[in-house]
Amino acid sequence: MKHDSLGTGLLWIGPWLLGFGIFTVLPVSLAIYYGFTDYTLLESPIPVGTQNYERMLNDEILGTVLWNTAIFGVLSIVFGSILSIALAALLSKPARFQSFWRAAVFAPSVLPLVAIAVIFKLGYDPDPEVGLANQMIDWFTFGAFQGPNWFGSGFWAMTALLLMSLWSVGPAVVIYLAGLRDVPKQLHEAASIDGVGPVGRFFHVVLPMISPVILFNVIIGVINAAQVFAVPLIMTGGGPERSTYFHSMYVYDQAFKFGDMGYASALGVLQFAIILTLTGLILLAGRKLVYYRGA
Amino acid sequence: MTIDAKTITRRTALGLLAAGAGGYAAFGPERRRLQSGGRVVLDYWEKWTGHEAAAMKVVVDRFNESQGRIFVNYLTMGGIDQKAKVAIAAGDPPDVLGLWNRNLPFFSQCGAIMPLDQLKDYGITEASYAKAVGPLVFRGGRQLAAPSTPSSIALYYNRKIFEEVGLDPDSPPRTIEEFDVAIDRLTILDPDGNVERAGFLPTDPGWWSWCWGGFFGGHLYDEKTGLATVDSPQNIAGYDWYQSFPKRWGLDKLRRFQGAPIDNPSPYRNFFSGRLATTIQGPWLPMFMDQELGPGNFDYGACPFPVPAALADQPPYGPIEADILVVPAGAKTPDASMEFIAFTQRPENMETLCTGHAKPSPLSNSSESFVRNHPNRAVAVHEEILQSPNAYTTPWITGWAEFGMALGAGLDQIWNLKSPSAAAPLAEVQLEASEILQREADRRHRRGQPDPWEKA
Repeated sequence: MKHDSLGTGLLWIGPWLLGFGIFTVLPVSLAIYYGFTDYTLLESPIPVGTQNYERMLNDEILGTVLWNTAIFGVLSIVFGSILSIALAALLSKPARFQSFWRAAVFAPSVLPLVAIAVIFKLGYDPDPEVGLANQMIDWFTFGAFQGPNWFGSGFWAMTALLLMSLWSVGPAVVIYLAGLRDVPKQLHEAASIDGVGPVGRFFHVVLPMISPVILFNVIIGVINAAQVFAVPLIMTGGGPERSTYFHSMYVYDQAFKFGDMGYASALGVLQFAIILTLTGLILLAGRKLVYYRGA
Repeated sequence: MTIDAKTITRRTALGLLAAGAGGYAAFGPERRRLQSGGRVVLDYWEKWTGHEAAAMKVVVDRFNESQGRIFVNYLTMGGIDQKAKVAIAAGDPPDVLGLWNRNLPFFSQCGAIMPLDQLKDYGITEASYAKAVGPLVFRGGRQLAAPSTPSSIALYYNRKIFEEVGLDPDSPPRTIEEFDVAIDRLTILDPDGNVERAGFLPTDPGWWSWCWGGFFGGHLYDEKTGLATVDSPQNIAGYDWYQSFPKRWGLDKLRRFQGAPIDNPSPYRNFFSGRLATTIQGPWLPMFMDQELGPGNFDYGACPFPVPAALADQPPYGPIEADILVVPAGAKTPDASMEFIAFTQRPENMETLCTGHAKPSPLSNSSESFVRNHPNRAVAVHEEILQSPNAYTTPWITGWAEFGMALGAGLDQIWNLKSPSAAAPLAEVQLEASEILQREADRRHRRGQPDPWEKA
């Protein structure tokens, strides 16, 4: 009887197991193996021991891409979290056309990133006749300030990407919104009776209560930021002076442009290790900083 | 027999899954090899779109109609070099593949393409091609690829603006020194020093960032020694000239004038609108003029790009590139692939293709009617560069993509005035390029492959 149940179970989960094996377990295993080889994709891999990992130690470009990824990750998570919590707080208040506003905040994130990146690239064109960003700067400052050349310097190129990253805060807002609705009214009332104002209530009641949601969004943010790829590839190509060249772009270039699949695999393993470590550290920090109701 | 889901055994379940997988492998999708008429089907992957794809389609159709044994299935796509690598690695390559000449060292070093020695049987040798084109596709006496459309890069200028400022449009500048004087006359600055019209800008469109040292007689790589020569005095002179533009007009003012140094909606917009008086461009430019401005509405001239006075009496200098055709390793019917490639190399087909692309012919001779009816009235300038011993292209190295990216990052530093001269950024690129070349050498030695200069 037990065997029969197992067979039935296997049959139902078989297709998924097959896909998981072929498209996840096998590629990950191969990537780990290729990380220890010299592999051009077009020739057989030759084992080279830890050479690819040793190369990382002296790879200045790797240092640059890791730094860029870290800067982008930290700033996009900080700004993204502040904006999403603020939007969620606004959307949680009763208002006319509430459903419309909620949909409006979420809608941008369902659009394809590649298409959005192309539109933003045009929007950042320094020519005010073409670029909406500089047109707006021109309009709001009554022509006193001219907008920057967004992709002409590292600072402005990174700023442009960070601003664009805020475009897709919709999913985080929805999660924060759910978290905010879960904050018990009694706590607000108790704090008010004790003379705590709205700002105090936000920091001492709301934030602790939604801290598990913040933790979740930060972890997702870290994973997304570590894998940022398509948008900078389209908008800046990594330039100028590699100021917007990120880790995933470097992995892709090594694999498919430079034909060094071995090094690319090792870089991929490094990326995985970094994400895993950061997630572990955040979860560890969460033990002290996150408040779980009922825990 | 019915299967009761509640009583399926483990063996039955695994058996069903295995049967499904086996059935897919046996009866699943498979590439066509034979048409119903018994013709061999060749899959030909090409990278072109629009009018360029259409021009090759004419040649493909002509081939398909010319005989009854082979049928070419013409597919165009983006990112072709990367897709081709994956297809070849997976053992399911196309039968004919259109790449760029810069891809050839990598594909050939990895044994991913078949030599086209059989083309000799069709009367095709290195002498069949223009002097500068042959070396793009022949190595060690073997033909590795066949050119489809080549391009050489020249200086285009707006004749009307030349006349306006008192320059003779029939006698464009030949030397860098003359060109610098002309640029100053062609440029219009407003009272605040903002650029209203630029005489020339090396970053508009900025597609051939590797070319500037070449006009000064420099090379990025020495094929005889296998060493990078990025920081040679000639290259420093070339890139110092490149840097002279932000120095003379100011980086911020140029940024504002030019916009981002990336592709914009029309890469030709500054030249076509008269904001840029001269531009470095390929032979296709007049075709886009006709498309965007209407036929004959723009009076242009073209000449080889100016060089320092010391080199002015030499045959013209200029960067060249070529689209190429190769037969990937693992192609199922290489004889049929060769037959098709040989067909494309016939003068009449080559001229049809190159006319459609508005490019010069890669062949050693082109017909009088080709030049007369060509959409670019300056096509002779481009042909002259293709015949010149001073034409140059990207280095024959497997790591050019990485090398070129390192050079691009160095150029950003030069252009953004991060250094008072090009010397320091080029020295950094030299270091990076040397590491890339060393890794290439290590890889060759690991695989027991000879160094390229040994084969030569």
